[in-house]
Amino acid sequence: MFARRFLISFPIFAIVYLIQESVVSQFRIFGGGFSLFLIFTLLWSALGTPELGALTGFGAGLLMDLSQTTSGPMGQWTLIMILAGFAISYLGYGDDNFRGNPISLVVIVAIAVPITRLAYLIIGLMFGGDLGSTFQIFISLLSSAFWTVAVVPLLMPSVTRIHSTLFEEKSRG
Amino acid sequence: MRNGGDNRGRLLLISLIVTSLFLITLDLRGVQVIDGLRSGSQTAVSPFQSAGAKVFRPVGNFFSDVTRLGRTRGEIEKLKAENEKLRQNLINRRNADSELSQLKSVLDLAGTAKYKVVSAKVISLGSTSSFTQTISIDAGTDDGVKENMTVITGLGLVGVVKKSYPNSALVQLSSDSAFRVGARVAGSQQIGILSGQGTSKAVLQLLDNLTTLKIGDVILARGSQNNSPFVPGVPIGEVTSVDNAAGAVTQTADVRLYVNFSTLSVVAVVVGSPKSDPRDALVPKGPVPIPVPTVTIYATPSESPKP
Repeated sequence: MFARRFLISFPIFAIVYLIQESVVSQFRIFGGGFSLFLIFTLLWSALGTPELGALTGFGAGLLMDLSQTTSGPMGQWTLIMILAGFAISYLGYGDDNFRGNPISLVVIVAIAVPITRLAYLIIGLMFGGDLGSTFQIFISLLSSAFWTVAVVPLLMPSVTRIHSTLFEEKSRG
Repeated sequence: MRNGGDNRGRLLLISLIVTSLFLITLDLRGVQVIDGLRSGSQTAVSPFQSAGAKVFRPVGNFFSDVTRLGRTRGEIEKLKAENEKLRQNLINRRNADSELSQLKSVLDLAGTAKYKVVSAKVISLGSTSSFTQTISIDAGTDDGVKENMTVITGLGLVGVVKKSYPNSALVQLSSDSAFRVGARVAGSQQIGILSGQGTSKAVLQLLDNLTTLKIGDVILARGSQNNSPFVPGVPIGEVTSVDNAAGAVTQTADVRLYVNFSTLSVVAVVVGSPKSDPRDALVPKGPVPIPVPTVTIYATPSESPKP
Protein backbone atom coordinates (compact mmCIF):
# COMPACT_ATOMS: atom_id res chain seq x y z
CA MET A 1 0.00 0.00 0.00
CA PHE A 2 2.84 2.37 0.88
CA ALA A 3 4.57 1.74 -2.43
CA ARG A 4 1.35 2.42 -4.36
CA ARG A 5 0.73 5.66 -2.50
CA PHE A 6 4.35 6.66 -2.99
CA LEU A 7 4.14 6.04 -6.75
CA ILE A 8 0.86 7.93 -7.02
CA SER A 9 2.32 11.03 -5.38
CA PHE A 10 5.67 10.91 -7.19
CA PRO A 11 4.56 12.89 -10.31
CA ILE A 12 3.25 15.67 -8.07
CA PHE A 13 6.58 15.89 -6.30
CA ALA A 14 8.41 15.86 -9.63
CA ILE A 15 6.34 18.84 -10.81
CA VAL A 16 6.92 20.79 -7.57
CA TYR A 17 10.64 19.97 -7.84
CA LEU A 18 10.73 21.35 -11.39
CA ILE A 19 8.92 24.51 -10.25
CA GLN A 20 11.43 24.92 -7.42
CA GLU A 21 14.44 24.45 -9.69
CA SER A 22 13.27 26.48 -12.66
CA VAL A 23 10.94 29.17 -11.27
CA VAL A 24 11.40 29.77 -7.53
CA SER A 25 15.19 29.76 -7.90
CA GLN A 26 14.95 32.74 -10.29
CA PHE A 27 13.67 35.10 -7.61
CA ARG A 28 15.95 36.98 -5.30
CA ILE A 29 14.03 37.18 -2.09
CA PHE A 30 14.89 38.68 1.29
CA GLY A 31 16.81 36.37 3.62
CA GLY A 32 17.61 33.80 0.95
CA GLY A 33 13.96 33.08 0.22
CA PHE A 34 12.26 29.75 0.71
CA SER A 35 12.27 26.22 -0.61
CA LEU A 36 8.84 25.51 -2.03
CA PHE A 37 9.76 21.85 -2.37
CA LEU A 38 10.78 21.50 1.28
CA ILE A 39 7.63 23.24 2.49
CA PHE A 40 5.44 21.15 0.18
CA THR A 41 7.07 17.89 1.33
CA LEU A 42 6.70 18.66 5.03
CA LEU A 43 3.11 19.79 4.58
CA TRP A 44 2.34 16.63 2.59
CA SER A 45 4.01 14.46 5.25
CA ALA A 46 2.09 16.18 8.03
CA LEU A 47 -1.15 15.00 6.43
CA GLY A 48 -0.21 11.31 6.22
CA THR A 49 0.74 8.41 8.45
CA PRO A 50 4.27 8.22 9.93
CA GLU A 51 5.24 5.41 7.54
CA LEU A 52 4.01 7.36 4.54
CA GLY A 53 5.72 10.47 5.92
CA ALA A 54 9.04 8.63 6.06
CA LEU A 55 8.53 7.26 2.54
CA THR A 56 7.56 10.70 1.25
CA GLY A 57 10.65 12.15 2.92
CA PHE A 58 12.77 9.46 1.28
CA GLY A 59 11.52 10.29 -2.24
CA ALA A 60 11.71 14.04 -1.70
CA GLY A 61 15.16 13.79 -0.14
CA LEU A 62 16.39 11.80 -3.13
CA LEU A 63 15.18 14.54 -5.48
CA MET A 64 16.82 17.21 -3.30
CA ASP A 65 20.06 15.24 -3.34
CA LEU A 66 19.91 15.09 -7.12
CA SER A 67 19.78 18.89 -7.33
CA GLN A 68 23.10 20.17 -8.60
CA THR A 69 23.08 22.95 -6.04
CA THR A 70 23.19 20.50 -3.15
CA SER A 71 26.61 20.64 -1.60
CA GLY A 72 26.52 17.57 0.64
CA PRO A 73 26.96 13.94 -0.31
CA MET A 74 24.16 12.07 -2.04
CA GLY A 75 21.88 10.71 0.66
CA GLN A 76 22.34 13.52 3.18
CA TRP A 77 19.04 15.21 2.32
CA THR A 78 17.44 11.74 2.03
CA LEU A 79 18.42 10.89 5.58
CA ILE A 80 17.25 14.23 6.97
CA MET A 81 13.97 14.17 5.06
CA ILE A 82 13.12 10.60 6.14
CA LEU A 83 13.46 11.69 9.76
CA ALA A 84 11.67 15.00 9.17
CA GLY A 85 8.81 13.37 7.25
CA PHE A 86 8.41 10.69 9.91
CA ALA A 87 8.61 13.14 12.81
CA ILE A 88 6.15 15.69 11.43
CA SER A 89 3.54 13.05 10.60
CA TYR A 90 4.11 11.24 13.92
CA LEU A 91 3.36 14.45 15.84
CA GLY A 92 -0.10 14.81 14.43
CA TYR A 93 -0.95 11.14 13.81
CA GLY A 94 -4.29 10.12 15.20
CA ASP A 95 -5.12 13.63 16.36
CA ASP A 96 -7.83 14.98 14.06
CA ASN A 97 -8.03 18.21 16.05
CA PHE A 98 -4.43 18.84 15.13
CA ARG A 99 -4.71 17.96 11.44
CA GLY A 100 -8.03 19.66 11.00
CA ASN A 101 -6.69 22.94 12.35
CA PRO A 102 -4.93 24.98 9.63
CA ILE A 103 -3.14 27.14 12.18
CA SER A 104 -1.50 24.18 13.88
CA LEU A 105 -0.38 22.88 10.46
CA VAL A 106 1.15 26.27 9.58
CA VAL A 107 2.93 26.43 12.93
CA ILE A 108 4.26 22.88 12.79
CA VAL A 109 5.57 23.28 9.22
CA ALA A 110 7.06 26.70 10.03
CA ILE A 111 8.92 25.13 12.95
CA ALA A 112 9.88 22.02 10.99
CA VAL A 113 11.47 23.88 8.04
CA PRO A 114 14.24 25.66 10.01
CA ILE A 115 14.78 22.58 12.20
CA THR A 116 15.20 20.41 9.10
CA ARG A 117 17.65 22.90 7.60
CA LEU A 118 19.54 23.11 10.88
CA ALA A 119 19.75 19.31 11.02
CA TYR A 120 21.11 19.34 7.47
CA LEU A 121 23.72 21.91 8.51
CA ILE A 122 24.77 19.90 11.57
CA ILE A 123 25.05 16.65 9.60
CA GLY A 124 26.98 18.60 6.94
CA LEU A 125 29.43 19.80 9.61
CA MET A 126 29.90 16.19 10.67
CA PHE A 127 30.83 15.39 7.06
CA GLY A 128 33.42 18.17 7.08
CA GLY A 129 31.36 21.05 5.68
CA ASP A 130 31.98 24.69 6.53
CA LEU A 131 29.81 26.78 8.81
CA GLY A 132 30.39 30.30 7.46
CA SER A 133 28.86 33.30 9.17
CA THR A 134 26.74 32.25 12.16
CA PHE A 135 24.72 35.45 11.94
CA GLN A 136 23.94 34.77 8.27
CA ILE A 137 22.79 31.24 9.14
CA PHE A 138 20.59 32.62 11.92
CA ILE A 139 19.02 35.15 9.53
CA SER A 140 18.53 32.46 6.89
CA LEU A 141 16.80 30.09 9.34
CA LEU A 142 14.64 32.86 10.74
CA SER A 143 13.61 34.08 7.31
CA SER A 144 12.84 30.53 6.14
CA ALA A 145 10.40 30.24 9.06
CA PHE A 146 8.91 33.61 8.12
CA TRP A 147 8.50 32.67 4.45
CA THR A 148 7.03 29.31 5.43
CA VAL A 149 4.36 31.08 7.48
CA ALA A 150 3.59 33.17 4.40
CA VAL A 151 3.62 30.33 1.86
CA VAL A 152 1.89 27.48 3.74
CA PRO A 153 -1.56 29.16 3.87
CA LEU A 154 -1.35 29.62 0.09
CA LEU A 155 -0.34 26.01 -0.51
CA MET A 156 -2.52 24.35 2.08
CA PRO A 157 -5.91 24.37 0.30
CA SER A 158 -4.54 22.74 -2.85
CA VAL A 159 -2.24 20.33 -0.99
CA THR A 160 -4.96 19.10 1.37
CA ARG A 161 -7.39 18.76 -1.54
CA ILE A 162 -4.97 16.75 -3.69
CA HIS A 163 -3.92 14.65 -0.70
CA SER A 164 -7.47 13.77 0.28
CA THR A 165 -8.50 13.15 -3.35
CA LEU A 166 -5.62 10.76 -3.91
CA PHE A 167 -5.53 8.88 -0.64
CA GLU A 168 -8.96 8.93 0.87
CA GLU A 169 -10.60 7.81 -2.37
CA LYS A 170 -7.97 5.13 -2.87
CA SER A 171 -8.26 3.81 0.66
CA ARG A 172 -12.03 3.57 0.31
CA GLY A 173 -11.57 1.60 -2.87
CA MET B 1 2.60 3.10 15.66
CA ARG B 2 2.29 5.78 18.31
CA ASN B 3 2.10 3.23 21.14
CA GLY B 4 4.90 1.02 20.05
CA GLY B 5 3.59 0.56 16.58
CA ASP B 6 3.51 -2.27 14.09
CA ASN B 7 6.74 -3.91 13.10
CA ARG B 8 6.14 -3.28 9.43
CA GLY B 9 6.33 0.48 9.89
CA ARG B 10 9.48 0.20 11.95
CA LEU B 11 11.06 -2.08 9.40
CA LEU B 12 10.22 0.40 6.64
CA LEU B 13 11.72 3.32 8.57
CA ILE B 14 14.88 1.40 9.40
CA SER B 15 15.32 0.17 5.83
CA LEU B 16 14.89 3.72 4.47
CA ILE B 17 17.47 5.09 6.90
CA VAL B 18 19.88 2.28 6.03
CA THR B 19 19.36 3.01 2.31
CA SER B 20 20.18 6.68 2.82
CA LEU B 21 23.28 5.83 4.84
CA PHE B 22 24.27 3.42 2.07
CA LEU B 23 23.89 6.23 -0.48
CA ILE B 24 26.04 8.56 1.65
CA THR B 25 28.72 5.88 1.92
CA LEU B 26 28.67 5.27 -1.82
CA ASP B 27 28.95 8.99 -2.57
CA LEU B 28 31.76 9.57 -0.08
CA ARG B 29 33.64 6.66 -1.61
CA GLY B 30 33.32 8.35 -4.99
CA VAL B 31 31.15 5.81 -6.81
CA GLN B 32 30.64 7.04 -10.37
CA VAL B 33 26.97 6.04 -10.56
CA ILE B 34 26.03 8.73 -8.05
CA ASP B 35 27.79 11.45 -10.09
CA GLY B 36 26.05 10.09 -13.18
CA LEU B 37 22.66 10.42 -11.49
CA ARG B 38 23.28 14.06 -10.56
CA SER B 39 24.65 14.83 -14.00
CA GLY B 40 21.63 13.16 -15.66
CA SER B 41 19.12 15.02 -13.51
CA GLN B 42 20.85 18.34 -14.20
CA THR B 43 20.84 17.66 -17.93
CA ALA B 44 17.11 17.02 -17.69
CA VAL B 45 16.37 20.09 -15.56
CA SER B 46 18.62 22.67 -17.29
CA PRO B 47 16.25 23.30 -20.27
CA PHE B 48 13.50 24.14 -17.76
CA GLN B 49 15.90 26.40 -15.85
CA SER B 50 16.83 28.22 -19.06
CA ALA B 51 13.17 28.69 -19.92
CA GLY B 52 12.46 29.85 -16.36
CA ALA B 53 15.34 32.32 -16.53
CA LYS B 54 14.01 33.74 -19.80
CA VAL B 55 10.49 34.20 -18.45
CA PHE B 56 11.08 35.17 -14.83
CA ARG B 57 14.48 36.89 -14.79
CA PRO B 58 13.06 40.31 -15.81
CA VAL B 59 10.87 40.22 -12.71
CA GLY B 60 13.32 38.22 -10.60
CA ASN B 61 14.37 41.26 -8.58
CA PHE B 62 10.80 42.30 -7.82
CA PHE B 63 10.75 40.94 -4.27
CA SER B 64 14.12 42.40 -3.32
CA ASP B 65 13.10 45.72 -4.84
CA VAL B 66 10.02 45.77 -2.61
CA THR B 67 12.27 46.14 0.43
CA ARG B 68 13.71 49.31 -1.12
CA LEU B 69 10.34 50.70 -2.05
CA GLY B 70 10.77 53.93 -0.11
CA ARG B 71 13.97 54.79 -1.92
CA THR B 72 12.62 54.07 -5.38
CA ARG B 73 9.24 55.71 -4.94
CA GLY B 74 10.13 58.43 -7.43
CA GLU B 75 11.02 55.86 -10.06
CA ILE B 76 7.85 53.89 -9.39
CA GLU B 77 5.70 57.00 -9.78
CA LYS B 78 7.40 57.72 -13.06
CA LEU B 79 6.88 54.16 -14.29
CA LYS B 80 3.20 54.28 -13.34
CA ALA B 81 2.72 57.07 -15.87
CA GLU B 82 3.85 54.87 -18.71
CA ASN B 83 1.59 52.40 -20.42
CA GLU B 84 1.91 48.62 -20.06
CA LYS B 85 3.60 48.02 -23.36
CA LEU B 86 6.27 50.65 -22.86
CA ARG B 87 6.92 49.42 -19.35
CA GLN B 88 7.42 45.87 -20.56
CA ASN B 89 9.73 47.12 -23.30
CA LEU B 90 11.64 49.14 -20.76
CA ILE B 91 12.11 46.18 -18.45
CA ASN B 92 13.31 44.01 -21.31
CA ARG B 93 15.56 46.77 -22.58
CA ARG B 94 17.04 47.40 -19.14
CA ASN B 95 17.65 43.72 -18.72
CA ALA B 96 19.42 43.56 -22.08
CA ASP B 97 21.42 46.73 -21.35
CA SER B 98 22.49 45.44 -17.98
CA GLU B 99 23.63 42.17 -19.51
CA LEU B 100 25.41 44.03 -22.31
CA SER B 101 27.13 46.30 -19.83
CA GLN B 102 28.22 43.34 -17.70
CA LEU B 103 29.41 41.49 -20.79
CA LYS B 104 31.37 44.53 -22.01
CA SER B 105 33.06 45.04 -18.65
CA VAL B 106 33.97 41.38 -18.32
CA LEU B 107 35.44 41.37 -21.84
CA ASP B 108 37.41 44.52 -21.00
CA LEU B 109 38.83 42.82 -17.93
CA ALA B 110 39.59 39.61 -19.81
CA GLY B 111 41.16 41.61 -22.68
CA THR B 112 43.46 43.51 -20.31
CA ALA B 113 44.70 40.30 -18.72
CA LYS B 114 44.66 38.37 -22.04
CA TYR B 115 42.36 35.70 -20.61
CA LYS B 116 40.50 33.54 -23.10
CA VAL B 117 36.92 33.49 -21.87
CA VAL B 118 33.53 31.96 -22.60
CA SER B 119 30.64 34.19 -21.63
CA ALA B 120 27.56 32.68 -19.99
CA LYS B 121 24.23 33.73 -18.60
CA VAL B 122 23.16 32.93 -15.06
CA ILE B 123 20.20 30.58 -15.34
CA SER B 124 19.56 29.76 -11.72
CA LEU B 125 20.55 30.78 -8.23
CA GLY B 126 21.75 28.26 -5.69
CA SER B 127 19.75 26.19 -3.28
CA THR B 128 18.21 28.16 -0.46
CA SER B 129 18.18 25.13 1.80
CA SER B 130 21.77 23.95 1.82
CA PHE B 131 23.51 27.11 3.07
CA THR B 132 25.63 27.16 -0.09
CA GLN B 133 26.25 30.11 -2.38
CA THR B 134 26.14 28.87 -5.94
CA ILE B 135 24.79 29.80 -9.36
CA SER B 136 24.10 27.78 -12.49
CA ILE B 137 25.26 29.11 -15.85
CA ASP B 138 24.18 28.15 -19.36
CA ALA B 139 27.62 27.12 -20.59
CA GLY B 140 28.99 23.62 -20.05
CA THR B 141 31.38 21.04 -21.38
CA ASP B 142 30.02 21.58 -24.90
CA ASP B 143 31.39 25.15 -24.70
CA GLY B 144 34.72 24.10 -23.23
CA VAL B 145 33.80 24.79 -19.63
CA LYS B 146 35.39 22.30 -17.25
CA GLU B 147 35.58 21.90 -13.53
CA ASN B 148 38.01 24.10 -11.59
CA MET B 149 37.91 26.99 -14.04
CA THR B 150 37.84 30.58 -12.81
CA VAL B 151 34.62 32.55 -13.26
CA ILE B 152 34.79 36.35 -13.46
CA THR B 153 32.74 39.46 -14.16
CA GLY B 154 33.90 42.92 -15.09
CA LEU B 155 34.34 43.69 -11.38
CA GLY B 156 36.43 40.68 -10.53
CA LEU B 157 36.27 37.15 -9.20
CA VAL B 158 32.87 35.45 -9.10
CA GLY B 159 33.95 31.94 -8.12
CA VAL B 160 35.01 28.64 -9.53
CA VAL B 161 33.29 25.97 -11.63
CA LYS B 162 32.50 23.06 -9.30
CA LYS B 163 30.53 20.84 -11.66
CA SER B 164 30.28 20.89 -15.41
CA TYR B 165 27.47 19.33 -17.44
CA PRO B 166 26.99 19.26 -21.24
CA ASN B 167 25.08 22.54 -21.41
CA SER B 168 25.30 24.01 -17.94
CA ALA B 169 27.70 24.34 -15.04
CA LEU B 170 27.53 24.91 -11.31
CA VAL B 171 29.65 27.77 -9.98
CA GLN B 172 30.68 28.06 -6.35
CA LEU B 173 30.61 31.76 -5.49
CA SER B 174 33.50 33.40 -3.67
CA SER B 175 31.03 34.34 -0.92
CA ASP B 176 30.40 30.65 -0.14
CA SER B 177 31.56 29.64 3.32
CA ALA B 178 33.57 26.73 1.88
CA PHE B 179 35.35 28.94 -0.67
CA ARG B 180 39.13 29.39 -0.28
CA VAL B 181 41.49 31.21 -2.63
CA GLY B 182 45.15 32.14 -2.44
CA ALA B 183 45.31 35.93 -2.52
CA ARG B 184 47.88 38.68 -2.65
CA VAL B 185 47.77 42.36 -1.86
CA ALA B 186 48.26 44.59 -4.89
CA GLY B 187 51.39 46.65 -4.55
CA SER B 188 53.02 45.06 -1.51
CA GLN B 189 52.57 41.53 -2.94
CA GLN B 190 51.87 40.09 0.52
CA ILE B 191 50.19 36.73 0.25
CA GLY B 192 47.42 35.12 2.25
CA ILE B 193 44.34 32.95 2.13
CA LEU B 194 40.91 34.46 1.57
CA SER B 195 37.89 32.58 2.94
CA GLY B 196 34.23 33.20 2.06
CA GLN B 197 31.86 33.84 4.94
CA GLY B 198 28.43 33.39 3.37
CA THR B 199 28.05 37.17 3.07
CA SER B 200 29.40 39.93 0.80
CA LYS B 201 32.48 40.07 3.00
CA ALA B 202 35.34 37.59 3.17
CA VAL B 203 38.22 37.16 5.59
CA LEU B 204 41.85 37.40 4.51
CA GLN B 205 44.52 35.76 6.62
CA LEU B 206 48.08 36.75 5.82
CA LEU B 207 50.76 34.06 5.79
CA ASP B 208 53.52 36.42 6.87
CA ASN B 209 53.52 38.16 10.25
CA LEU B 210 56.13 40.72 9.33
CA THR B 211 53.96 42.76 6.98
CA THR B 212 50.89 44.83 7.65
CA LEU B 213 47.64 45.50 5.87
CA LYS B 214 45.79 48.75 5.62
CA ILE B 215 42.21 49.70 4.83
CA GLY B 216 41.70 50.15 1.09
CA ASP B 217 44.33 47.60 0.04
CA VAL B 218 43.21 45.79 -3.12
CA ILE B 219 43.21 42.00 -2.97
CA LEU B 220 43.93 39.95 -6.10
CA ALA B 221 43.88 36.22 -6.82
CA ARG B 222 47.38 34.81 -6.50
CA GLY B 223 46.79 32.12 -9.09
CA SER B 224 47.10 28.37 -8.82
CA GLN B 225 49.51 25.85 -10.23
CA ASN B 226 48.80 25.46 -13.97
CA ASN B 227 46.25 28.28 -13.52
CA SER B 228 43.63 25.88 -12.17
CA PRO B 229 41.36 26.55 -10.34
CA PHE B 230 42.44 30.23 -10.23
CA VAL B 231 44.14 32.36 -12.82
CA PRO B 232 46.40 35.05 -11.37
CA GLY B 233 45.62 38.72 -11.10
CA VAL B 234 41.82 38.69 -10.87
CA PRO B 235 40.58 41.42 -8.50
CA ILE B 236 38.70 40.01 -5.50
CA GLY B 237 37.93 42.91 -3.21
CA GLU B 238 39.36 45.53 -0.92
CA VAL B 239 40.26 45.59 2.75
CA THR B 240 37.61 47.28 4.88
CA SER B 241 38.95 46.54 8.35
CA VAL B 242 42.12 45.07 9.79
CA ASP B 243 42.28 42.95 12.89
CA ASN B 244 45.31 44.11 14.85
CA ALA B 245 44.72 41.90 17.88
CA ALA B 246 47.79 41.70 20.06
CA GLY B 247 49.20 38.21 20.22
CA ALA B 248 47.73 37.09 16.89
CA VAL B 249 50.19 34.94 14.94
CA THR B 250 49.23 36.46 11.60
CA GLN B 251 47.18 39.47 10.63
CA THR B 252 43.60 39.04 9.43
CA ALA B 253 41.34 41.49 7.65
CA ASP B 254 37.77 41.80 6.42
CA VAL B 255 37.56 42.13 2.66
CA ARG B 256 34.57 43.57 0.83
CA LEU B 257 34.11 41.52 -2.32
CA TYR B 258 33.90 43.61 -5.48
CA VAL B 259 31.22 41.51 -7.16
CA ASN B 260 27.60 42.12 -6.22
CA PHE B 261 26.27 38.57 -6.30
CA SER B 262 22.62 39.59 -6.12
CA THR B 263 22.75 41.28 -9.53
CA LEU B 264 24.76 38.75 -11.49
CA SER B 265 23.32 37.99 -14.89
CA VAL B 266 26.30 37.60 -17.23
CA VAL B 267 29.63 36.05 -16.26
CA ALA B 268 32.68 34.72 -18.09
CA VAL B 269 34.54 31.48 -17.56
CA VAL B 270 38.30 31.69 -18.11
CA VAL B 271 39.01 28.79 -20.46
CA GLY B 272 42.48 29.91 -21.46
CA SER B 273 44.97 31.62 -19.18
CA PRO B 274 47.60 34.18 -20.21
CA LYS B 275 51.22 33.20 -20.75
CA SER B 276 52.36 35.76 -18.23
CA ASP B 277 50.99 36.92 -14.89
CA PRO B 278 49.16 40.25 -15.37
CA ARG B 279 50.46 41.28 -11.92
CA ASP B 280 48.61 44.43 -10.81
CA ALA B 281 47.25 45.34 -14.26
CA LEU B 282 43.66 44.57 -13.22
CA VAL B 283 43.58 46.65 -10.06
CA PRO B 284 40.47 48.86 -10.35
CA LYS B 285 41.28 52.48 -10.95
CA GLY B 286 40.49 54.72 -8.01
CA PRO B 287 38.13 57.66 -8.40
CA VAL B 288 39.66 60.61 -10.23
CA PRO B 289 39.65 63.64 -7.95
CA ILE B 290 37.48 66.46 -9.27
CA PRO B 291 39.46 69.69 -9.42
CA VAL B 292 38.06 72.28 -7.06
CA PRO B 293 38.36 75.86 -8.36
CA THR B 294 40.05 78.13 -5.88
CA VAL B 295 39.56 81.88 -5.68
CA THR B 296 42.16 84.04 -4.06
CA ILE B 297 41.00 87.32 -2.61
CA TYR B 298 43.46 90.02 -1.76
CA ALA B 299 42.17 92.43 0.80
CA THR B 300 43.31 95.98 0.18
CA PRO B 301 42.65 98.34 3.08
CA SER B 302 40.77 101.40 2.00
CA GLU B 303 42.14 104.78 2.75
CA SER B 304 41.17 105.87 6.20
CA PRO B 305 39.00 108.99 6.20
CA LYS B 306 40.78 112.11 7.04
CA PRO B 307 39.65 113.82 10.18
